[in-house]
Amino acid sequence: MIETKNLSKIYNPGKFEVKAVNNISALFKEGEFTSVVGPSGSGKTTFLNCVGGLDQPTSGEVIISGENITKLSGSKIINYRLNNIGFVFQAYNLIPVLSAKENIEMIMLLQGVDENNRISRTNELLNQVGLYEMRNRRPSQLSGGQQQRVAVARALASKPKFILADEPTANLDSKSTSNLLDIMSQLNEAENITFIFSTHDQRVIDRARRVVTLEDGKIVNDNKK
Amino acid sequence: MNILTLIKISWRNVWRNKLRSFVVIISVVFGLLGGIIIIAMSYGLNEERMNNAVETYLSHIQIHNKSFSEEYNIKYTIDNLEGIENAINNDIRVVSYSKRIILNGMLSNSNGSYGIQVKGVDPIEEVKVTNTYEKIIEGEYFKSEKDNTILVGKKLADRLNLKLKSKVVITFQDENYELTSLLYRVEGIFRSGNSRYDEANVFVKNNSITKNLPNFSGYHEIPILLTDIELRNQVKNDLVSKNSNNLIEGWDDISKDLAYANEMLAAVLYIFMMIILSALSFGIVNTMLMAILERRKEIGMLMSIGMSRFKIFLMISFETMFLSIVALPIGLILSYSIVEYYSVVGIDLSIVEAGLENFGVGTRLYFKVPNQEYFIVAIMVFVISIISSIFPSVRALKINPVEATKTI
Ligand SMILES: Nc1ncnc2c1ncn2[C@@H]1O[C@H](COP(=O)(O)OP(=O)(O)OP(=O)(O)O)[C@@H](O)[C@H]1O
Ligand SMILES: [Mg+2]
Repeated sequence: MIETKNLSKIYNPGKFEVKAVNNISALFKEGEFTSVVGPSGSGKTTFLNCVGGLDQPTSGEVIISGENITKLSGSKIINYRLNNIGFVFQAYNLIPVLSAKENIEMIMLLQGVDENNRISRTNELLNQVGLYEMRNRRPSQLSGGQQQRVAVARALASKPKFILADEPTANLDSKSTSNLLDIMSQLNEAENITFIFSTHDQRVIDRARRVVTLEDGKIVNDNKK
Repeated sequence: MNILTLIKISWRNVWRNKLRSFVVIISVVFGLLGGIIIIAMSYGLNEERMNNAVETYLSHIQIHNKSFSEEYNIKYTIDNLEGIENAINNDIRVVSYSKRIILNGMLSNSNGSYGIQVKGVDPIEEVKVTNTYEKIIEGEYFKSEKDNTILVGKKLADRLNLKLKSKVVITFQDENYELTSLLYRVEGIFRSGNSRYDEANVFVKNNSITKNLPNFSGYHEIPILLTDIELRNQVKNDLVSKNSNNLIEGWDDISKDLAYANEMLAAVLYIFMMIILSALSFGIVNTMLMAILERRKEIGMLMSIGMSRFKIFLMISFETMFLSIVALPIGLILSYSIVEYYSVVGIDLSIVEAGLENFGVGTRLYFKVPNQEYFIVAIMVFVISIISSIFPSVRALKINPVEATKTI
């Protein structure tokens, strides 16, 4: 369970203050498939960054499974992210000099997973995202949609508590978008993996089972289907 | 995560921008090459200068009377000459020696006078210890039947306008401090390759001196050549025990400046190499900073997904180090081949002949790099590459993980 308590992120405190995240308290339960939506500049990225421990909130707390991650120090938070949170970004998700397989494996190398488990899990994930045949290709030899699927597999490889995805489909055409969402929702249903993703895309919003709408850093709507 | 994976990523990263890495590597190769060639020329010059000095006037070991070294009076001849000759004749490490009478005096003619050192030698024995006889450019090396002939250096001949058969007078103090003069005719003019030596040294037959100084006998100087110049300290120590009144010196004791030149040179060359390598390291650092700037998002992503700061530091460090470490073997092999080639063939420096002669070397320069220099240069490159990797790596750590989520 992920909980934010009075979470705020204020840029340029003082003169030209921007309250990118303004006192958000929200709860995300295990197994949810949530989309964070809102106009450009509404604070989606900033909110996800704070939830994922990439950014320090100005005030408030992020509590994941009872642990307040805003209190974690530099190296602890990196380790926390490694073992508990999967990330999928809009672009630049993969290490360009490693193959799809190596990209997925790397996260487990960082975790210190032994070789047998690493290989079997990598193959399993490659199959789940339908890229086993392309496992030896480097990112530059994959389409945008395929790259994002590798990124999802990579995010899952560490067996995280949940996956945060900031506009994972923004650079994809509609076919790749629906393909990626198929995979994400399938993983969500079959393996009960929690997804929180931001998006602008109505087709993506339609697939979400919960839609949290932000405006000016505040939740203005929270719809569960 | 094991270090090999990091090294693999870094290595591949080096080749992401092939042209850029190639340019940096080539610049390091040329820097190394340039530096090593300068080292080779410097050592070559120095070695040549040293060999010249040893072959023309220093020899490997010299023996004098202790007092003679303090005061050049001709009465201070070598003590226990017989004992010494016995010892060196029975020493298999000794190749040859000769016996000289040394007079410090003035050489004059109608054009002026010059302070000189006269070496009274046995022409036949002397050729075994010096190469002066090979350096005669005009006239002959003691072919004349007459006793009172003299060999003078080219520089002195020019100063006093001496020709073959020119008459000169040598004036010196005898054992009673009285001025004595001897008349000579120039039989040969030599050019040793060291103009300062040529200006201040002349050769005569020793019987031309003894004949005119009936009360004098003995010798002042015994130059010795050994089978190997490095044996000089051994032989010297063996001789010292038998020679309480004589001073036994290796070439490096006699000519301290020449001996120190090697050490001095090494120090200067290391500084020089450091400067070249530091200049190159700026190029490397600059390239890496550019690479990091371009890869901000990627590094942000790595931090986001959980790569520790230490690993990111290492990754960038390896990448930086690879640039110079790849260049190192290429640069060394290239330099080594060029140095080896010119160590045999030599390069012609006759355009700067006059300057080289003042310095005491010939016109053909043979490259020389002691093997340990390659090793030291390699270590320097290594150290500099580690130092230059720190800055880009620290810079990479300043990248914020949120870069990964920024759209621009
Ligand atoms: N580093 C920053 N410094 C100052 N202001 C910032 C910074 N990053 C974001 N902001 C501001 O914070 C607000 C929220 O930005 P954020 O990127 O979270 O919005 P977003 O909902 O993700 O927008 P988009 O849909 O365009 O990605 C915006 O007004 C933005 O200008
Ligand atoms: Mg955004």
